[in-house]
Amino acid sequence: MVVVRAAVLALLLVLAGCADPAGPAPREAADLDGNASIKTFRYSLDQAPSSLDPVQAANVYANHVVLNAYDTLFAYKYLARPYQLKPNLADGWPEISPDLLVYRIRIKHGVRFQDDPAFAGGKGRELVAADFVYSLKRQFDPKNRPQGAWLWQGRIAGLDDWKAAGSDYDREVPGLRALDRYTIEIRLLRPFPQLLDTLALGFSAVVPREAAEHYGRELGTHPVGSGPFRVVSYDSSRVVFARNTAFRQEPVDLQAEGYDPATQRYTGVERIQGRSPPFVDRLVIDFASDDASRWNSFIKGNEIQVTGVPAEKVDEFLESYDPVQLKPDYARRYQVASGLEAGFVFETFNMDFPEFGYNPDPERERRNKALRCAIIKTFDWEARNQSWYFGLGTVFPGIIVPVVPEFDPQLSRTSVTRDVAGARRLLRENGWTAENLPVLVYGQSAGVKPRMFFEQFRAQLMDIGWPQEKVVLKQYATFGDLGRAWKESRLPIVSKGWGLDYPDAENTLQLFYGPNGSPGSNDANYRNPEYDRLYEKAAVMLPSPERRALYRRMNQMIIDDCVAITGLSRKRIYLWHKNVVALPDREIVGGFFLRYVDVLPEGESARPADLEPAG
Amino acid sequence: MNAAQPGLPAATAPRASLWRTALYKLRRDRAGLLGLAVVVLYLVAAVGAWCGWWAGDWALITGTKWGPVSAQHWFGTNIIGQDIFQRAIYSTGTAFQVGLVVAVLAVGMGAVIGAVGGFFAATWIDEIVLWLMGVLDAIPFYLMVAAIAFALADNPYAMHVAMVSTFWTTTGRLVRGEVIKLRGLEFVEAARAIGVPPVAIIFRHILPNTFHILLVQLTLCFVDAIKAEVVLSFLGLGVKDGMSWGLMISESTLEFLAGHFNNLIVASALLFGLVFAFNMLADALQDALDPKQVA
Repeated sequence: MVVVRAAVLALLLVLAGCADPAGPAPREAADLDGNASIKTFRYSLDQAPSSLDPVQAANVYANHVVLNAYDTLFAYKYLARPYQLKPNLADGWPEISPDLLVYRIRIKHGVRFQDDPAFAGGKGRELVAADFVYSLKRQFDPKNRPQGAWLWQGRIAGLDDWKAAGSDYDREVPGLRALDRYTIEIRLLRPFPQLLDTLALGFSAVVPREAAEHYGRELGTHPVGSGPFRVVSYDSSRVVFARNTAFRQEPVDLQAEGYDPATQRYTGVERIQGRSPPFVDRLVIDFASDDASRWNSFIKGNEIQVTGVPAEKVDEFLESYDPVQLKPDYARRYQVASGLEAGFVFETFNMDFPEFGYNPDPERERRNKALRCAIIKTFDWEARNQSWYFGLGTVFPGIIVPVVPEFDPQLSRTSVTRDVAGARRLLRENGWTAENLPVLVYGQSAGVKPRMFFEQFRAQLMDIGWPQEKVVLKQYATFGDLGRAWKESRLPIVSKGWGLDYPDAENTLQLFYGPNGSPGSNDANYRNPEYDRLYEKAAVMLPSPERRALYRRMNQMIIDDCVAITGLSRKRIYLWHKNVVALPDREIVGGFFLRYVDVLPEGESARPADLEPAG
Repeated sequence: MNAAQPGLPAATAPRASLWRTALYKLRRDRAGLLGLAVVVLYLVAAVGAWCGWWAGDWALITGTKWGPVSAQHWFGTNIIGQDIFQRAIYSTGTAFQVGLVVAVLAVGMGAVIGAVGGFFAATWIDEIVLWLMGVLDAIPFYLMVAAIAFALADNPYAMHVAMVSTFWTTTGRLVRGEVIKLRGLEFVEAARAIGVPPVAIIFRHILPNTFHILLVQLTLCFVDAIKAEVVLSFLGLGVKDGMSWGLMISESTLEFLAGHFNNLIVASALLFGLVFAFNMLADALQDALDPKQVA
């Protein structure tokens, strides 16, 4: 009996030792190890970046990390819509020569890289103009496997020659120089109105040479930058940042950030006025491709704090679609924002495949065009919208997306209207039969949703008599593998989404510019001399009615040549916990907003009291 | 004349064979017969799917998104409007195809290798067989499958190869043990004495005497293969181009949030039914073919 009592007592003592007398700390006030008083913000993304090296920041996932670990010369204003650029690392706007060919950009003094063993003594040094020059050169060094060179290719004097001569970093590029410690000069071969936009992308983020040389390929997992956060750990499931305590002090000026009290006051962003970001100690981004996992993590209440509303939950959560409003019960618990994505989903034919695109035999090439047009006619955009986006997406013809000013709402919708009879007729008239139709390999990343995209596509093709066994799924283990297959021109049809790098239709028109062919951004490998001529003409023009007309002519060419099955812009609906002070947005700015996020203690609401829903 | 002693079996009395006795016992095993009937039902569904008699429209979109149960769509439709019933029936064909191919190959392979190992027990041949079985058993199954699937890239039979290469070892061990027992019996000694070559002894005289083990192993392996196929397809390592219950269950992950469970329920129920029936049949066969019980 004594032994039993002793055992029970020992057990109680052990349990008492395990218990926290203060009770569990609120999640936002504890880090991942449970350390109290650490303010943590937990975000999530639906894919993991394959590299954190800025030269490979080719997608929104990588940009979310790169733009928070590194600095860019320019950035997009946090709250201004439509999007507006602002100087970031740049100390004001550049001096631009009257012929628009020379840009002189001054950078801020006293900006420091984070401490890292790559630096002498492990202490981060000051960021200088030469660092930017070095970083942009890296995009033209094949050893880095860069993915962003297409942005500046043929535009900056001497940069292409520098690459051709072997990418020697000690050799000066006439069009890309550091005039002094804080002044960068960029000389263009021809006007490039989007230049400053490209300097807000993760591709142009500033990397210290010491780190690039110290870590080599490992820089892709070990960022060393001057951004608001530094990466503490990174793997395929999560990246954890800590606040960069050496980050420059720049108090927020909401007016300068484009704050509109009428539409944005509910977010509580007035709380950050006059304070210097970042506002959280820890930033955790979980990579979870499964909607249900992200959703459950959000609903649980103490895990991720922001999510998109899955299409399956739209009806349950929304009181109205337009404008997007939450049902009262949810409105009391969450904040919501919505908007059309700055981008689109679409499919392009790879014109380098002789079965579908260019062919040495002119007659076959003519029949191939009929084949592509028939596939476009049978593609059911409305079904895709209903199945996957609950009808909230916007289906539009061509490649100029609805969020840019050049979008033409009057454009004929024939190319996005399903016409099975027309498709069958087109095939018949051009001699296509079930026997001679080519095998179509449809590439997708692994996962159930991509697989169902394929099934939907195949079923639609079967409606026009395409044999089931001639539409084949090729799945890649990761999104990165699929991307490589696109870049290496290994798939006859490319199914993808494109997020605008900057708010200009040029960014989608360049997707079909001949010289941007694989491994560039022109996955279609479309080569139309007239299209290229118009693109080159428009590319050096400032926004004007004339440029708009050129854009629209090019758009029509893509539709007429049946190069792409396009397109649909998704509606994003963001939902976040009400103690989070933020206006989440993954479009264009792709992660810039994270530095402005603040987290209040659990139970508090960022929403001003007069805007709290009744009840 | 001496009369036959009462209580002793007459030398000339007809003796029931093991197979006949087993069949007799099986006929009286109601659970086993029920299992057999259900398996035959599934088999009919599978054969019909293979021959295109039914479920031919499994890939087509024949309804609206998440259509309800109706006369046209017995189990409703999925997220893109495909008929869940047709997909489930077509998947029965996939299950049987995988089950049969894997079971026959794995059991066949296990029988041959196990018999060779058993016949040459305590020699270097047996050492190699034991080492091979030990190595393969030591590799976790799903790791093995992932490695083989990766190595064989897009081969639609990567899953089959992976399963066969791991499933045969169980049969191999059982047959090896049985053969070690059989090789000491008189009929094998007699065959040796008259100069029958070892290969002929193994295949003509010994292996037929392990059929009762092989038959039970076939049913067990069949069930294991079906279950593994479903899990592998769910994980994206199984069926590449086609339909299976595993893919349907994986598809259902897109539907939970919206409160639709038809894919999950139908695929799981059919899988459960087949596995349960096969297990009942396997149990009955095991009882019927167990030489001790038959004796």
